[in-house]
Amino acid sequence: MRIGKLFMLMLSILLVSGCWNRVELNDIGIVSATGIDWKDGKWQLSYQVVIPQSISGQSPSPGTAAAVNVFSTSGDNFQSAISKASQETSRRLYFAHNQVVIISQAAARKGLEQLFDVYLRNADARETVSVFLSKGSARHMLEQLIPLEKIPGTAIQRMIANEEINSSVFRQMTMHEVLKDLLGTTQAAGIPSLSVGGTNESMDRADKLAKTNTPSKVRLNDLGLIQKDKLVGWITRTESRGVMWLADYIKRTTTAFTCRQGDNGLKESAVQIISSKTKQRPEQQPGGEWMMHVEVTAEGTLLEYNCGGDLSKPPEVDKVERAIEEEIKREMEMGWQAVRKHKADVLGFGGSIRQKYPKAWRGMKDDWPERFSRMEVKTTVHVKINTTGMSGSGFKKMQEKARS
Amino acid sequence: MNKQDAKALTKLSPSLHANVQAIRTRFGGSSDLIVRLFRSDAAPDRELAIAYVDGIVNADTINESVMEPLMSLRLPEYMQRRGGKLLDALRSCVVSVGAVKEISTLEEALQYMADGLCLIMADGAASALTAEVCGGNQRAVTIPQTQTVIRGPQYGFVEDIRTNISLIRRIIRSPNLHVQIHKIGKQTNSNVAVLYLHGIVDEGILKEVYRRLADIDIDGVLESGYIEEFIQDETFTLFPTLLNTERPDTVAAALLEGRVAVMVDGTPIALMAPTNFFTFFQSPEDFYQRYDIATFVRIIRYVSFVLSMLLPALYIAVTTYHQEMLPTTLLISLAAQREGIPFPGLIEALLMEMTFEVLREAGLRMPRAIGPAISIVGALVLGQSAVQAGIVSAGMVIVVSFTAISNFVMPELNMAATSRIIRFALMLMAGMLGFFGIFISVLFLIVHLTSLRSFGVPYMSPLAPGPKMQGVWRDVFVRLPWWAIVLRPMDLNLRNPKRRPSGRKPPAQRHSDKP
Repeated sequence: MRIGKLFMLMLSILLVSGCWNRVELNDIGIVSATGIDWKDGKWQLSYQVVIPQSISGQSPSPGTAAAVNVFSTSGDNFQSAISKASQETSRRLYFAHNQVVIISQAAARKGLEQLFDVYLRNADARETVSVFLSKGSARHMLEQLIPLEKIPGTAIQRMIANEEINSSVFRQMTMHEVLKDLLGTTQAAGIPSLSVGGTNESMDRADKLAKTNTPSKVRLNDLGLIQKDKLVGWITRTESRGVMWLADYIKRTTTAFTCRQGDNGLKESAVQIISSKTKQRPEQQPGGEWMMHVEVTAEGTLLEYNCGGDLSKPPEVDKVERAIEEEIKREMEMGWQAVRKHKADVLGFGGSIRQKYPKAWRGMKDDWPERFSRMEVKTTVHVKINTTGMSGSGFKKMQEKARS
Repeated sequence: MNKQDAKALTKLSPSLHANVQAIRTRFGGSSDLIVRLFRSDAAPDRELAIAYVDGIVNADTINESVMEPLMSLRLPEYMQRRGGKLLDALRSCVVSVGAVKEISTLEEALQYMADGLCLIMADGAASALTAEVCGGNQRAVTIPQTQTVIRGPQYGFVEDIRTNISLIRRIIRSPNLHVQIHKIGKQTNSNVAVLYLHGIVDEGILKEVYRRLADIDIDGVLESGYIEEFIQDETFTLFPTLLNTERPDTVAAALLEGRVAVMVDGTPIALMAPTNFFTFFQSPEDFYQRYDIATFVRIIRYVSFVLSMLLPALYIAVTTYHQEMLPTTLLISLAAQREGIPFPGLIEALLMEMTFEVLREAGLRMPRAIGPAISIVGALVLGQSAVQAGIVSAGMVIVVSFTAISNFVMPELNMAATSRIIRFALMLMAGMLGFFGIFISVLFLIVHLTSLRSFGVPYMSPLAPGPKMQGVWRDVFVRLPWWAIVLRPMDLNLRNPKRRPSGRKPPAQRHSDKP
């Protein structure tokens, strides 16, 4: 009897206290991307909600309908906007699988303090989401369908991941990285932006993907510089790669170069950098200003070479290496000039100084943006070509040989 | 027999007719009771009789070894030699059966007859002879039905205990193999044999087995399961604390490890004790095939045991509480499957699990001829149609199917049944409390497991409490090569815990090394 009573007690504890936060899979709306706009003095939040049936359901023909649905709500703050969503959707919005957050230029210039608070405070807002900026409306970006992937949010996420490891012009800025930068030494971050390229026709219908070409597509564009919590300026893609070189974020990239010295025309050769390491060494100048020595050591594979010369001879390879070094130096210089103009230290220079000269840093941290823009940068690059590929002399040489 | 001794025993009367009459009355005039009165030429003055129960004796043996010598006996000559005692003369010189015994009470006579012995009585003697002529129809020794191996002996126990003991004797050819037969069951008087290897078994455990067997008071023992429930340490547990098998090699291995085997007449299933949790994951084949493969499949078994308990519960918990833990693509594909499913995840899982349990039970109980029908109904109608009709999701069917299959990996069926029952409890906990529920349930299970004992041996040994000797791990989660297994597996108080002197491989001589 005692066991029976105990069992009943346990069962009632379970029945009374259990199940309180149970939610079935078909009661949640999985948000794959969120857009943040600042419109008419209010935050406008847009949600890209996945429609699971049209992706892999047992419905007769998945793929004919769009796999996502986009809608917006607005409010004075983020959570009140999100809570309004229940007035227009049948399911609870579920943010744990949110892949990307796209912030419009207007919102980013207004200041993102409120957004960061949401991410720091709430458990279901994941810091693993990738953050993007958008020069136009963020909602417009969410509406674009992307070929190959069913869910645009996932597509954008995979696009930046692909970019980071294969081209390294931009790096994936997760919310965690953004917060780390903005709460770090220099309180500045670079966030890549998205734009719709092509004819600017909106790719918001599934049947537009039925054709082999799409009139417009989403692509990664300029890098937005955030200082404190506001957008302060943009730098271009080329400048962005310079920044990546300076800040040691290059993982693998393809660099075009020419072996004709002093020629800024067509760069007819290309090398794939397969590993690279950047070292920053701060040094105080006699005048009190700071100088940063940046030393890049990179290894690469020659992919394309159209300069002539017999690459089976080491001196020829050395020449090619010098040409590549020049090119990387030039890119870094471009990147440096761009960020110095905006006074946003996304290069980690401040961090390097703080690490090495903590006392000196304490004295200048308050006017760091100004001092940063007055800094000098001296770059040295060491490139080593591991392999020149299967062809030693190249097509032209071989043709000449065959003729003779 | 002891209990019958306590009652007043009836002495056999010197009158043959009175004895025959008494036997007939006590058997209630059963028609299979055969009593034959006859006279022999050699002793015309004394009437003789044999009595037996038809069907459980070997009629040929009776004819050749009992009747024929009796009919053709030349008694006076023998009787003179034996000092004039007729039965003595019969026993020593006439009846050509191996085991012959003289008895003097009616109860004994009746008991021996019920056991399948033949009774030889003579007029004027107040005692009788019993002759072992057991026989009758027996199932032949065949391939074991429940525990199959690819490599290893292909014969199993039968219902006859004498055959079964002989099968063990043929494996362990040693006088150290001791067999003690007890009679248990007031009505069935079943033979229950206790087998052990003298010198290896722990005397304390053996004594405990005898004590528990002696305490059994029941009218009938039809299967070893009766005995198991009487002698197991803990009744209110889902975990079996006795091993059972129908393989003679498994019993022999257990005896070599220092366990005690209990066999019951009338069933091919033998019991072995003491045991621990990990023994249930060992198949006899583990020890016959190469050690690396054996280790691999043993790990597979542990994994599938855990899966068969936890998988549906994990699925329920993840899909109803912890969706954030799934990769996005998997979540979306699961969500797509769940569209339009009317039941919550827990109900859906219970529905499918119940369906499977019903199918399984039906498959066991139904007549063999209907077999194909149930697989069609089970696989097609319930599985596929339920998904197509949108009553259960495809993911759930996969989970339930895999759970079911992984349950069949277990070499010991009783441990597999345990995991099936625990699975339901875990599913309920997962449905109500999510991962937290699973976690506290598993915690409870672990506490419970460590509290169990089998004949005084901790159930989770050598994991908890830890091993008293180094080297017991060589045959628990993995199986090392035979030459490395030095110790007997359990952490018992064995008098000689070592199987072999050292864990070194005997050196091999290479041909190329020779000069």
